[in-house]
Amino acid sequence: MARRPDVNERVNLARSSVLLVDHNEKSLAMLSSIFQGFGVKEQIKRSTTEDAIRVVDERDLDLILIDCSMPDMDGYDFIRWLRRDTPPPVRYTPVIMLTGHAAQSKVHKSRDCGASFVVTKPLTPNVLLQRILWLGADERQFVEADTYVGPDRRVRNFGPPLGMAGRRSGDLSEHVGAASEANMDQSAIDMMMKPMKVQL
Amino acid sequence: MSEARTFKVKSSLSKQLFEPGGRLVRDAERLAGEALDTHREEAMAMIAATIDELDAVCAAQPAEAGLQVYALGQKVIDLGAFFDTGPLHEAAWSLCDIADRMIGNGVWRWPSIQVHAQAMRLILGNDCRTGRTSATLLDGLRQVAQRP
Repeated sequence: MARRPDVNERVNLARSSVLLVDHNEKSLAMLSSIFQGFGVKEQIKRSTTEDAIRVVDERDLDLILIDCSMPDMDGYDFIRWLRRDTPPPVRYTPVIMLTGHAAQSKVHKSRDCGASFVVTKPLTPNVLLQRILWLGADERQFVEADTYVGPDRRVRNFGPPLGMAGRRSGDLSEHVGAASEANMDQSAIDMMMKPMKVQL
Repeated sequence: MSEARTFKVKSSLSKQLFEPGGRLVRDAERLAGEALDTHREEAMAMIAATIDELDAVCAAQPAEAGLQVYALGQKVIDLGAFFDTGPLHEAAWSLCDIADRMIGNGVWRWPSIQVHAQAMRLILGNDCRTGRTSATLLDGLRQVAQRP
């Protein structure tokens, strides 16, 4: 069962390899410091999407963080490439996209690129860690269609993953959980299924 | 058109995150915050340099400078992204908004850009504190942004 990101819970990134991609060297250094604080085993830092693609081709990664406004090939196109042009399981790698201001022309690209989460700046280490924990407990299906490849975007009724802060009472879940009552016997199930004569 | 295929994927990250060991969430957040703080001074100096650059562009008023101005606004947002820069972030966001809109409309007004540069400099000079000064400045920027 998914766990609540309580401050007294543990988070283990000691075996995780994370690719950080940002064209701004200072932003990349700050992001790297945050992940150092999270205790990530291996950080791979790249400042161009071209170099990031090379890393994806050569290494096993557990998480990718990319800034949307990369020069040349932007973050949206990188994720689109990852989701469509790489083999499984590489294409299922969780990706967090970091965005600053979203230009009008990029709104649709952002929606359709297939990022696991889009996180808008400004953000704190707390928010970033929460999103990573959400990814760890992600219940969404992966969708492959002509027009979209990525995690199911229809999350409105599901809300945050089960057990996470921010869930509403009406949020749905695909998690069935352990049985809380004894199994029904077969005759009782048959009674529910069979048409019965009713005396009027 | 082929049908959409949906299926469950268990990522390696999901498997690793909740394994025994690692750090308390509280400690991970604290350590990340401390590591981030070592960058604050340099990041603020870089924001000041970016505003200088914006001033220089405003003074030169080159043709087709829309994308350059937008990129400078984005840079302020990026550099201040992990710190509580409140009103500065809002001013930079407003700059990106009007630059994006003016690029789209094909109409460029330098005074609108200049007033954003001035407001950002004043807010930064006031350590990005939220108060009456920042509220007045941001209110002015909103009025600039609402101009057709």
